[in-house]
Amino acid sequence: MARCWRTRGGLTSRPRAQVRFLPGDTARHHRAVILDLLQEALTEAGLTSQDIDCIAYTKGPGMGAPLASVAVVARTVAQLWNKPLLGVNHCIGHIEMGRLITGATSPTVLYVSGGNTQVIAYSEHRYRIFGETIDIAVGNCLDRFARVLKISNDPSPGYNIEQMAKRGKKLVELPYTVKGMDVSFSGILSFIEDVAQRMLATGECTPEDLCFSLQETVFAMLVEITERAMAHCGSQEALIVGGVGCNIRLQEMMATMCQERGAQLFATDERFCIDNGAMIAQAGWEMFQAGHRTPLSDSGITQRYRTDEVEVTWRD
Amino acid sequence: MSCYTSGGHWAWGGDPAGIGHAPEGLHGRFPGPQKQKRSGCSQKRSFVRERSQGTAADPAGEALHVAGAPHAPGPGTDTAPAAGRPGIRPHTFTLSVPFPTPLEAEVALGSLAPDAEPHQRVVGKDLTVSGSVLAVHWKAEDCRLLRISIINFLDQLSLVVRTMQRFGPPFPTEPGLEKGADV
Repeated sequence: MARCWRTRGGLTSRPRAQVRFLPGDTARHHRAVILDLLQEALTEAGLTSQDIDCIAYTKGPGMGAPLASVAVVARTVAQLWNKPLLGVNHCIGHIEMGRLITGATSPTVLYVSGGNTQVIAYSEHRYRIFGETIDIAVGNCLDRFARVLKISNDPSPGYNIEQMAKRGKKLVELPYTVKGMDVSFSGILSFIEDVAQRMLATGECTPEDLCFSLQETVFAMLVEITERAMAHCGSQEALIVGGVGCNIRLQEMMATMCQERGAQLFATDERFCIDNGAMIAQAGWEMFQAGHRTPLSDSGITQRYRTDEVEVTWRD
Repeated sequence: MSCYTSGGHWAWGGDPAGIGHAPEGLHGRFPGPQKQKRSGCSQKRSFVRERSQGTAADPAGEALHVAGAPHAPGPGTDTAPAAGRPGIRPHTFTLSVPFPTPLEAEVALGSLAPDAEPHQRVVGKDLTVSGSVLAVHWKAEDCRLLRISIINFLDQLSLVVRTMQRFGPPFPTEPGLEKGADV
């Protein structure tokens, strides 16, 4: 989790504490660090509670217990300091941070992380979902594959797969599952879990080859559905957000596609791709300026919160 | 004794003494207490068996509460917690938390009330404030889920209290200014 204060002119402070992803453990971690992190953010930004305009927090989607742990603190300080509360959609947080950092005006967005895989484009006050995964997220697929090969989680499984993939030489053919505007990853995961043990035992390929093959396959699928959405919208900009967006190979493949279309690719580095509090603050700020407020009675967290449920009144 | 059937959650009707006798007319379909265990449940399903706390009428805790697999409610049943269904003795738990002032109790209420219970059909809770006391009252059909809900609530409550200690006390609200209104 991270905290951030957004002032006119940019982000002022972003302390961070890393965490694993079991809901109960994650919630315990959040409860243990959140108050110190909040104090640290205020101190680092040189602000007091009087200087704060509003309190933004993640309303959803996500895991229930961790979301609730943070939401109760947000509600408490909002009441203690008499500040308005803004419940932010996590996916929109990624989009608004991506737009702020890269300067992209109206891109087709590929949002790829451990928990989400969506292609999103803005139209008439909604972030419309043009395509998405019909089962698991691409990051989830990569992480679970890393477990099969016992790849280290430090710093992250996705990062380690990326490094190993650079040393891969052989392309192993995997199922390619684009379904219209959508993608599916659970079949690829089952397939590669099966073949991995067999092919590694017979020496047919190396773990690096499997990493390479998996990346090439799933990233090509993502490029295809993004391109389809861009063609549909006549879009000249593409923006990658979400943790998997840190992957340089994905950025390369998207850049190739954009170049072929005469479009521009926007991407960020790991400071802003990965989940962070700054993006929630940024989206919260946009919402606050446009007049949104979240009354306490409406402020409950929700594990399911579609990107297109929010009325994006801060854009034309 | 209660038993889940394919038609919906069913229980002995009118069992005020908590003795667990079957009402007349139902023996043909469901076993009496002397034939308990699972013989009356026609459908095999995986379920968790919980013993309810011993009560005055049932000190050995012999009445079994069987939590079944999820199923569609039968006609006439609703999905509200057990308090609405005749004959079920819901497990209840009440917590009273005193605060230094009524305002702080209200702040705690505002922070803790909005998040819905994860197993709403089985566990429900109400939060109210009177004076400086936050009162929480649980009603549940299932002991295990009740225990989990209470523990989670206590963790969240502890966090709210620590937040208030660290970043409070509350600024006084301006009269006529509603929380959540435009500032």
